[in-house]
Amino acid sequence: MAEIVVNELSKRYANGFEAVKGLSLEIAEGELLVLVGPSGCGKTTALRMIAGLEDITSGDLYIGGRRMNDVPEKDRDIAMVFQNYALYPHMTVAQNIGFSLKLSKRPRREVRERVRETARLLAIDSLLDRRPKQLSGGQRQRVAMGRAVVREPQVFLMDEPLSNLDAKLRVQMRGEIESLQKRLGVTTVYVTHDQVEAMTMGDRVAVLRDGLLQQVDTPTNVYDRPANLFVAGFIGSPPMNLAQAQVEQDGDGLAVALGPTKVRVPRELAAARGLATWAGKSVIVGIRPEDLHERRNGRSEGALRAEIERVEALGATLLGYFSVDVEPPPTGSAVAVVTGETLADAPLVGSTGGTMFCATFEPRTALRPGASVETTFDVERLHFFDPDTEAAVWAE
Amino acid sequence: MRGVRRWWPGLLLISPSIVLIAVFVYGLIGWNARVSATDWREANKTTNFVGLDVYRELRIDERFSLDLHHLLLFTVTFILGTLLIGGTLALLLDKGVRGEGFFRSVYLFPMAISFIASGIVWRWLMNPAPGDRASGLNVVFEKLHVGGLANQWWQGTNWGAAALAMPAVWALSGYIMALYLAGFRGVPEELREAARMDGASELRVYRHVVFPHLRPVTLAALIILGHISIKVFDLIVAIGGKQLVTEVPAVYMWVLIYDARDYAKGAAIATLLLIGISVLIVPYLIYTVRSERRA
Amino acid sequence: MSTTSAAPPAPLPIRSRRWFARRGSRVAPLKYLGLLLVAIVVLMPVYVLLVTSFKTLTEIDAAHAWSLPSSWTLDAWRQAWDELSPNMANSFKLAIPATLISVVLGSLNGFVLSKWRFPGADVVFTFLLFGMFIPYQAVMIPLTQLFDDANVPTGIPRLVFAHVVYGIPITALIFRNYYATIPDDLLEAARMDRAGMFRTYWSIILPLSAPAFVVAAIWQFTSIWNDFLFAVFLITDPVSWPVTVALNNTTGSLVTPFNLQMAAALLASLPTLLVYILLGRYFMRGLMAGALKG
Repeated sequence: MAEIVVNELSKRYANGFEAVKGLSLEIAEGELLVLVGPSGCGKTTALRMIAGLEDITSGDLYIGGRRMNDVPEKDRDIAMVFQNYALYPHMTVAQNIGFSLKLSKRPRREVRERVRETARLLAIDSLLDRRPKQLSGGQRQRVAMGRAVVREPQVFLMDEPLSNLDAKLRVQMRGEIESLQKRLGVTTVYVTHDQVEAMTMGDRVAVLRDGLLQQVDTPTNVYDRPANLFVAGFIGSPPMNLAQAQVEQDGDGLAVALGPTKVRVPRELAAARGLATWAGKSVIVGIRPEDLHERRNGRSEGALRAEIERVEALGATLLGYFSVDVEPPPTGSAVAVVTGETLADAPLVGSTGGTMFCATFEPRTALRPGASVETTFDVERLHFFDPDTEAAVWAE
Repeated sequence: MRGVRRWWPGLLLISPSIVLIAVFVYGLIGWNARVSATDWREANKTTNFVGLDVYRELRIDERFSLDLHHLLLFTVTFILGTLLIGGTLALLLDKGVRGEGFFRSVYLFPMAISFIASGIVWRWLMNPAPGDRASGLNVVFEKLHVGGLANQWWQGTNWGAAALAMPAVWALSGYIMALYLAGFRGVPEELREAARMDGASELRVYRHVVFPHLRPVTLAALIILGHISIKVFDLIVAIGGKQLVTEVPAVYMWVLIYDARDYAKGAAIATLLLIGISVLIVPYLIYTVRSERRA
Repeated sequence: MSTTSAAPPAPLPIRSRRWFARRGSRVAPLKYLGLLLVAIVVLMPVYVLLVTSFKTLTEIDAAHAWSLPSSWTLDAWRQAWDELSPNMANSFKLAIPATLISVVLGSLNGFVLSKWRFPGADVVFTFLLFGMFIPYQAVMIPLTQLFDDANVPTGIPRLVFAHVVYGIPITALIFRNYYATIPDDLLEAARMDRAGMFRTYWSIILPLSAPAFVVAAIWQFTSIWNDFLFAVFLITDPVSWPVTVALNNTTGSLVTPFNLQMAAALLASLPTLLVYILLGRYFMRGLMAGALKG
């Protein structure tokens, strides 16, 4: 195991396309870092540069303190798990796992022992004589992992290893991969486009967009304190509700005018967020669906009254969608920001106008489209973003 | 720098083949072109450089013009015949029939036979003897009461070359069928289904959905058939031997080299054949390899 | 070269027959009729070959042209064998080594061109591929000259060499297109497992190459066996003639009786026919080996 340091790593292709732009990260020994982002964000390219499968255009890569830019992939002591497993079809499971050891000219007995041990660890020891085409998806995935584990490398690289699996199996394997990694203590870089995977598995999460690092922090921090609009919209499902708002002077304090409603901002909060400089300006406000509740008490501050347009009953949660009379952010809703789909905010069937919000309700509430609801939020749970830079607003 | 370390073994491995082809294809073509610019004949004591004289000779050579005529006739008949038959067979097989494998095997088997061997049969089939002494296909026509169709086949002065195309059509239709069949089946079924849902009859489905997809196939077929035709040698020799009535440039070249020992003229014909083919093949090759890479 | 060498392989039809068989129609019987008619026409020469070869001399005149032999005899066959068997041996001595060397070379070249590429690999591929289309007449004169100058042993060795060299393009094409279907991440995994080029070829690519080897071998064997052009230009001594040249020679004269001609033609075609009948599936796959799709 070893730590990985990536410094201003960049990848530019012959046609000028920059897949990775100045990526800088430090991955501690034994840490599981998840690289997450939408397709095309450069996460796989970054992974492949660490592996040595792609040449580094500029920047430095250090593994275990050693500069690896010019070291060929086979000498980096890295093992990789591929998205489509890349199992050698003509070899048995045992041969697949043991191939690299055989190439390293380890004695046959040692190879056999290590293969058997690894297989036992991954619960595939009964499959050692089978060929890949005789295995199920989940079994193949484990063989692919076995091939990496048996080498006892200093780094594991995983390229969306679960994306080809059945959804339920994915959930189970998530936990198993995490336990395995903790047990072996090998520094791991894990790439995925699934933010749920990123949140549940990583010690830290690095969010990428168009080749640029947006934020790297623990899952909780990325969730609670997203560094910008993109991260805010990308992490969390259903996505954060976003809207334009005004910060106003309210007596000797500040208030946020969000469409039809206005909330006062307590002094500590205003100080913590550095909102004083925003007085009189437009700001983008975000509130997560679970921070919008149906109004219980009579307090009308921060209340949004609306008519339910759509209901999603998920069993454990109940989501209600309604239009709020506010302007969406200039770049569009969270979905538009994250996916780049310009039509994400143009509903197929015309709605009543305004911006679509989502809130969570008590799971067994009898909620119907057309029902009138009033939701309220705690001003502490608001996120603020600069409308021009899209960066989160904090007192810094 | 790292990149080089990775790919140079590959380059090394393929280099003998590159060298061989460079010498034996491009080098020899150049050599041949050089010979064609001399007056090298067995009869001549010395060999001189004469530029394009040999080509000028060929231009006014009546025998060469005759050969070109034959070649043109052969080519047109051959290409039309194979495209029509091969295309129709593919059309019939497209939707699948029982025993498709059997039919495919039958249509393709002529490719396993050498032209010399099949030439022997076809020479017999195309026996020009009429009436009582009729044999081969002429006799079949008599028996089927279409005696009027009996003719001189390859010995006919006007259409002999076209008759020669028959064995070639017989041999290559299967291959064209395979090309078109693959083309047909390369059309995604969803496209056809969408057209049907839109109310198109099967005929319309073919015309508007399937056939447009086939243009590249037809192009490939034309080019491949064209180049085979220009090169055709075995078949002509097998059926017509060295007779003038069936001669094409490729055969004339052979005769020039082995009988007349006129190497310069032979080389000139060879160079002309090469130019003819290059005009077809080079653009096509470049286009194919490039579009493959884009895909 | 026979037609097989001249015509490059075509792409693979993907639908299974069974899928289509479910869709019946009124057109079906008409279709069958058409297909059957064409099949008969295609097979007609075979009928003639077979039937005539078994006839006695008295029966090979115009009157009995199409009828079955009244008495089946092997006379023609025996004669054909006497005349052609030494040449058949020559053909085997030619085709087998040439095919073997050719396919190995093709495999290595195809591997490099598709999976271990270098800058300009596509240019090299086009460069090689052109060699497949040239009229071989264009190189015959200088080729003979070159062989003479280089003192290459006359006879079959020259032919073997020529076929191996001119077989480079088509074998490279077959293997390249086959190897292109192997997923790249398989080789990347091998790279991560610390395999170099030769190890990757030996342990990963070669074990997966069997279908391509079969296809290339069948294709080359058939082409080489059926070749006439190279043989007639390069081999001057009748003793060394492969069977195609000998065949053309014995049957060229008009005095050769038909039954002998047909028997000889069949005999000479027997090996390639056998290959086609037994391994026809692969032959067709070779024809459709996803090459120049146009």
